[in-house]
Amino acid sequence: MADESLLSDDLLRQLMATGHVDILIGVPTLNNAATVVDVVRAAQHGIATYFPRARALIFNADSGSDDGTPTLVRDATTDDTGTVSASRPLRTTNRITTPYHGLPGKGSAMRVIFAAADLLSADAVVTLDPNVTSVMPEWIPALAAPVRDGRADLVAPRYPRAAADAPLVTQLVRPLVRAAYGWTLSEPLMGEFGCSRPFASHCLELSGIGTGATPEGVDLWMVAEALVKGFRPAQAALGPRLLGASRKRPALPDVFQQVMDAVCACLELHDSYWLPRGAADPVPCFGTLNPAVEPGPRPDVAAMAETFARDVAALHPLLTTILTGPTLARLTAAAATPAQLVYDDDLWADTVFEFLLAYHRAVMTREHVTRTLLPLYLGRTAAFLMRHASSDQATVDAAFESLCLAFERAKPSAAAQWTKA
Amino acid sequence: MTAGDPLWFKDAVIYQLHVKTFLDSDGDGVGDFRGLTSRLDYLEALGVNTLWLLPTFPSPFRDDGYDIADYYSIHPMYGTMEDFQAFLAAAHERKLRVVTELVLNHTSDKHPWFVEARSSRDNPRRDWYVWSDTDDKYRGVRVIFIDTETSNWAWDPVSKQYYWHRFFSHQPDLNYDNPAVREEMWRVMQFWAQLGVDGFRVDAVPYLVEREGTTCEGMPETHEVIKFLRARLDTHFPGRMLLAEANQVPELVRPYFGDGDEFHMAFHFPLMTRMFMATRLEDRGPLTDIIRRTPTLPENCQWAVFLRNHDELTLEMVTPEEREFMYDEYARDPVARLNLGIRRRLAPLLDGDRRRIELMNGLLMSLPGSPIVYYGDEIGMGDNVYLGDRNGVRTPMQWSGGWNGGFSSADPERLAFAMISNPVYGYQAVNVLAQERSSHTLLNWMRRLIRVRQSTRVFSRGTLTLLEPPNQRVLAYVRAFEKEQVLVVNNLSGTVQAVELDLSQLAGAIPVEMFGQSLFPRIGTQPYLLTLGPHAFYWFRLRRL
Amino acid sequence: MTQMIADAVRQASVNFMDSVAVLLPRILITASIVAVGWIIAWALKWAVRWILIWLRFNHGCDRIGVGAVLKTADLPPADHLVSLIVFWLVWVGFLLSGVDVLGFSALEGMVRSFAQFVPRLLVALVIVVLGFVVANFAWRATLIAAVNARVPSPRVVSGAVRALVLILAGAMALDQIALARTIVLTAFAIAFGAVMLGLAIAFGVGGGGIARRILDHWFPERPQATEPEEEFRHL
Repeated sequence: MADESLLSDDLLRQLMATGHVDILIGVPTLNNAATVVDVVRAAQHGIATYFPRARALIFNADSGSDDGTPTLVRDATTDDTGTVSASRPLRTTNRITTPYHGLPGKGSAMRVIFAAADLLSADAVVTLDPNVTSVMPEWIPALAAPVRDGRADLVAPRYPRAAADAPLVTQLVRPLVRAAYGWTLSEPLMGEFGCSRPFASHCLELSGIGTGATPEGVDLWMVAEALVKGFRPAQAALGPRLLGASRKRPALPDVFQQVMDAVCACLELHDSYWLPRGAADPVPCFGTLNPAVEPGPRPDVAAMAETFARDVAALHPLLTTILTGPTLARLTAAAATPAQLVYDDDLWADTVFEFLLAYHRAVMTREHVTRTLLPLYLGRTAAFLMRHASSDQATVDAAFESLCLAFERAKPSAAAQWTKA
Repeated sequence: MTAGDPLWFKDAVIYQLHVKTFLDSDGDGVGDFRGLTSRLDYLEALGVNTLWLLPTFPSPFRDDGYDIADYYSIHPMYGTMEDFQAFLAAAHERKLRVVTELVLNHTSDKHPWFVEARSSRDNPRRDWYVWSDTDDKYRGVRVIFIDTETSNWAWDPVSKQYYWHRFFSHQPDLNYDNPAVREEMWRVMQFWAQLGVDGFRVDAVPYLVEREGTTCEGMPETHEVIKFLRARLDTHFPGRMLLAEANQVPELVRPYFGDGDEFHMAFHFPLMTRMFMATRLEDRGPLTDIIRRTPTLPENCQWAVFLRNHDELTLEMVTPEEREFMYDEYARDPVARLNLGIRRRLAPLLDGDRRRIELMNGLLMSLPGSPIVYYGDEIGMGDNVYLGDRNGVRTPMQWSGGWNGGFSSADPERLAFAMISNPVYGYQAVNVLAQERSSHTLLNWMRRLIRVRQSTRVFSRGTLTLLEPPNQRVLAYVRAFEKEQVLVVNNLSGTVQAVELDLSQLAGAIPVEMFGQSLFPRIGTQPYLLTLGPHAFYWFRLRRL
Repeated sequence: MTQMIADAVRQASVNFMDSVAVLLPRILITASIVAVGWIIAWALKWAVRWILIWLRFNHGCDRIGVGAVLKTADLPPADHLVSLIVFWLVWVGFLLSGVDVLGFSALEGMVRSFAQFVPRLLVALVIVVLGFVVANFAWRATLIAAVNARVPSPRVVSGAVRALVLILAGAMALDQIALARTIVLTAFAIAFGAVMLGLAIAFGVGGGGIARRILDHWFPERPQATEPEEEFRHL
């Protein structure tokens, strides 16, 4: 029976011993030995400081690490810091680390986490990314409190983003998801988030979490599911999101394709929801954003612009199939001057939506559609970085907002075309 | 309000109350509609969703309002028709449905119809009642109120004929062989339905029609009358509910549902009696027996289950041996006995034992049917067997420890019925205000119980599968509805019990106790061991993850 | 003498008439078969064309690149071409059946050969079409991968891949219809041998510098992006 169940007998016994909890902090892991201890410590501190009377559980669902991650999670203590914490929890913070059955990946890990939260009647579920090195104890109340207070069902993070920070999010995923789904959510790919038990139970009832095995796909799927099914979204201002340096990452084309596949799959699944949506509704944000931190050295934008110009020329035969005549003409004109590359918001929005339509219509193999967009995305990123080489944060934030509005302007026409397809 | 699900009554948790003794707003010693309206928040907080009111019609009150003198009005002591309508609107605003009484079988002898009928043998209303020159007709038909009546016929000195009455002699039976009577009673239903009433509890159903050589109970013609009224109701007021009072064994109550075209609901009297028997015997036998004998109902019908009501705890449908046992266990003092029943409230019947009260309510809320809570039982009110008839279980609601228990500002001597004032059940000890101040009182426990029951449709709409553990003191069953399953285990005894349940059919499920959400070990193919405290019960939601 | 000549002429006439009597019915049958065959072929041609239009066959051909090739070669659109092929195949089949009826042994061999040739021709056509599909896909995939991997001259690389696939498909099709088999095999052998030889020369002991200069001329160095790839994160 245990083999057919999400929960092994051993895990079930541990859950029985834990009993009802107020807050469950889920940490899905796969070979995160370098970074997970700090994450667990931050979670522990967060509970001790901000929820001293709450029953809490740190629940680690491991996909089969071979670097000792589960042991590190289990053994991580706050005493290692060498300081005496002024806040000691009145209650024992339970800790469970368990492997899980099923396909490896964040989707399966989230199912186990949600199952545990459901069985233990947790009021709030917080999920942390074990790769993030900038997790602070304050992230726990930021993500959990709106749920516990009954103000939200899904609390997405909101990070301060510098111009060069995660452009795949700021230049593409954020404006596209915002324009399509009609909510001003800053981080659709989440990473860390908080959610209510009804939302967790809802995800559990569905046959699978996420449209693919990638973590980004899983997070995006959950966001989309929450918005479409009427769960109350919110955002919590967190600090900068810095990832561990030694993490093995796939190459950019693969990452790009996985993210785009996840976005497109969600849009196809939910088109009856987002096609009629109008201007984006505001998503409440709790907390104040810290100043953004430059994530590292900026890329060579001049070289990126040159590459972009060559790529547009090289891909011209494909672009004629994907883009409309006017858009291709504007793109070609923009690529003609790489030294002063200007890839404006409206052109980029039109580009993305036309690629989306091409994906939807499968004018060619879908993988080819998404990979053809990658060079254009790099060109857009280069243009953005050129323009904001020395802009202050306020200007950069205004630029992000302007881009989102450009996507919202482009959406109605794309929606009309989508329906015709 | 009754829009939406036509089967809303299946999910009903009904609160039965007497307006007369609920809350007096104008200080005349009698409860009224304004007082009831002011307490709707309390009822909403309790978790009930349907109110059943005892009769509030104009009446000489020789049978506490069941002797009706005018079907189209409200007795002035309860307020005005406007007060009633305001109460109805306020109840509907709180998503509370309202079921009123419909006394079909008889009227008061003071009703203008009877006054006319008896005035002369040629009066057009004469045939609205059942007359005979002799009292030989329908010989052998049992008398129901054996403590007060000796015959079902009463002599009318005005028209010099006998008239038929199955209840008190001042309650002449209406003649349903007369189509005019049927039409008039339809008009009565129509009147109240138009005002917005959501359902009717139909009093004394089996006795509508008489035929020579029969028991005069449950005649085929009676069912025709019911079908006629039901058809009219469904056509003009779809979604309204008819609840039958038919004190019969379940097999004989079944016909009152017809093919889903007569009553929507009917009281399950024998189940109630056997709940008391089983917990006293500490043996599940009487309950499992009646559960097996209970026939399946049409899909659009439902049993109404209850522990106590405004009448005596009836022992009509048990064997003499069982009746003797019940009298010995629950009514040693003969003054508590009335009309083949026991006129006591729930708490005194159970010796004020909190655990037993909880167990009985747990059974009430987990067995199939829509449960009815009698007013006052949620705080464990006592009774006064020295009040006449069944008035001892109809004493004023005890709201606080203050003047008249918060029921009325009138002089205590003026109250319709005296407050219970003994040190055990008196209003100073048992009242709503005191019980709201602590989270571990019976009142708050009842609120939790109702909330947990209403958290799932398993109890209101699900099937029941009996389990047969070797330990006879334990009653266990599985309720199931769609994909949900709940395992219910009851310790009927006053001692700790261990029980091994064969749950192999449920192997793989994880039991989650529904009140505290505690996890229990996963069910396997081996017998599942549970231990229960005295009179304890568990509801386990069976999860599969 | 005159009588002999007259007899000879009479006999010749009789023989001729006998031959005509034998041949004429056959000619009539042949003509009927050919005429009926034309009608059937014409009907099939329109039916096939209509079906292909309904299936948006031209659109599919455009996607795999066949449409562009036909346009370049000034040939009719793909659906028209296919329907024409169907027409001619069917009618020629009827023609040959009709000729067979005439009973000319010399033609029988030709009919047999044609009957054996047609299936191979169809297979060859399928190979060519599949070749176009694969070539187009490979071209596109190579182009995109080359662009994203910053390979120099991605269009040249992808074009070369496409050409290679088409050449391979063409060779397979020619082999299928046993046309110029020796030439095709020899050409392949020479081509592959040349490639091997070229590689040996370019990367062998001598001439490395010349090879480098040639390669530099055709594949100039692209300025590599100098961003610290390891540190810049897009996500």
